[in-house]
Amino acid sequence: MIRFEGAGKRHPDGTIAVEGLDLEVPTGRTTVLVGPSGCGKTTLLRMVNRMVEPTSGRVLLDGTDVAELEPAKLRRGIGYVIQQAGLFPHRRVIDNIATVPRLLGWDRKRARARAAELLELVGLAPDLAKRYPFQLSGGQQQRVGVARALAADPPVLLMDEPFSAVDPVVRAGLQDELLRLQSELHKTVLFVTHDIEEAVRLGDQVVVLREHGKIAQLADPHTLLTAPADDGVAAFLGRDRGLRGLGLRPASAVVLRPVDAGLRYGNWELALDDGRRPIGWIDRAAASADLHPAAGFRPEADTLRTALDAAVLSPAGVAVALDADGRATGTASREAVLAALPALPAPSALPAPAVDGADGADRADGVPLRKDGAPGTPTVSQTDSRADSRTDGAAGGR
Amino acid sequence: MDDEPIVRWYWIGDHLGYLGHLLADHALLALPPVLIGLLIALPLGLACSRFPRLYQPLSAVLNVVYAVPSLAVFVVLIPYTGLATEASVMVPLTFYALAVLLPTTVDGLRAVPEAVRQAATAMGYGPWRRLAAVELPAAVPYLVAGLRVAAVASISLASVGALIGRGGLGYLFIDGFQRTFPTPIVAGIVLIAALALVVDLVLVGARRLLAPWAVREKGAGS
Repeated sequence: MIRFEGAGKRHPDGTIAVEGLDLEVPTGRTTVLVGPSGCGKTTLLRMVNRMVEPTSGRVLLDGTDVAELEPAKLRRGIGYVIQQAGLFPHRRVIDNIATVPRLLGWDRKRARARAAELLELVGLAPDLAKRYPFQLSGGQQQRVGVARALAADPPVLLMDEPFSAVDPVVRAGLQDELLRLQSELHKTVLFVTHDIEEAVRLGDQVVVLREHGKIAQLADPHTLLTAPADDGVAAFLGRDRGLRGLGLRPASAVVLRPVDAGLRYGNWELALDDGRRPIGWIDRAAASADLHPAAGFRPEADTLRTALDAAVLSPAGVAVALDADGRATGTASREAVLAALPALPAPSALPAPAVDGADGADRADGVPLRKDGAPGTPTVSQTDSRADSRTDGAAGGR
Repeated sequence: MDDEPIVRWYWIGDHLGYLGHLLADHALLALPPVLIGLLIALPLGLACSRFPRLYQPLSAVLNVVYAVPSLAVFVVLIPYTGLATEASVMVPLTFYALAVLLPTTVDGLRAVPEAVRQAATAMGYGPWRRLAAVELPAAVPYLVAGLRVAAVASISLASVGALIGRGGLGYLFIDGFQRTFPTPIVAGIVLIAALALVVDLVLVGARRLLAPWAVREKGAGS
């Protein structure tokens, strides 16, 4: 656990970066510090590994004041990922990842073997090991940065806007990857971002900061989106926070109309191929038998937001539920998707999402993460194309 | 000089051994100072990078040395190094090399992206270890670019040493002017250019070898 006790930072010229913050960063969870630039979030992050020394208060790591620890030693035990990845240009990918193990005195062979494991862990192909950083895409560089931070298996991971410099599709892939890694590794993650969307997506606990590192609100993502502490936080969250909140709820709560119960909604009928994969919607009232795209979602992998999106996009107002192979398992009208809302416990009654608890599992699964192939339908479905682009992102964007 | 052709080939044919001797002498006068300059520039550059206040006064002194005409420096040094000795030529050349190499070393170390520097610190490199293990290797393309300039300048400047009795190929120019006989002058120019070219190619090759990762980053090198 990381504990900030009245931690403040006043620069020599008298300006105040952080006024004095009390915060607990629980072990094995992801805590996101989010706020506008200049709110001191990076300063706070760097207090943990002593790249910034607090001028008042202290920072405790598992009960020990970090000021008592030798900086270099302390840092070798804390993973650190930064925005531009900061890979060493003169070292091959494998040796970049092996940096901290080598600093800890591992021999080259063992350090490289460990680095190869990590390359795989972050979803990069083994043949990238011999490349130099400039030969990688931005997304791949960030993955190497994450692998390098994890190389010595540190219990704590500090991440300073690690995904800000890559394009949105790659960013989504990296976020998925981090969620997956975290569900396996249970690191104590302190993550800094200015992107509230990212904060809500990644955090078990989100800390919204105002200037001088004052906490405007500390809450789990559900509570944050549904019950902002004040107008300032609400404004920071943006206008469609209700809709974004849907992105935190699993689509499995939607009650489906089974395929056998009929595929006709008014004039619209869903056409399936022999493998029960949706081909498209056909307007029976129209003279032609034109196929209209059928948007789908995966109840077990997607969120209510994706389900509602699919229903809104469909000409029939109906989303198609798909299994992992892209076969239709049922349908859900817009009304059916929205009806799933009251069926969930009120957000305030939800415990903070735990990584190892049932809620945590829901949450980790609740974000679209598809590694399997796209369904073999001729239709272009919104959900599918999004899932595919994320898979591309996971492959490194190239 | 009106009837005198630019090149009398027989003279070159007659003096091949002599020309070879001058070429070797020239290389031995011009190149060790660059190497010594590098060996001094590296620790000085590292120190300047670690303690930035050192850099201003040091580079000011070196710039002044660089601004003094080479012949004047050669002459001033004669009382200390003796007339027509290697040292009387090589000591000033070392200063010239240093004047080029110190700024390139410091610039190279500074050009390492801030993110790289911070990542290194965050992973547990102490300041000196970071300089040696991360910033210095990352600065290699700059160092080689500086070496190329310093080496070519040194090869060209070494000929001035002929005026105080040690100038390698530079002697050919004095000889040619005194006798209004252009052939040795042309031979000297060609040989100096060839030496500079060969040394430059060797350095480019060294960069490929030492910093294969910088091949694409042309801007970082030259």
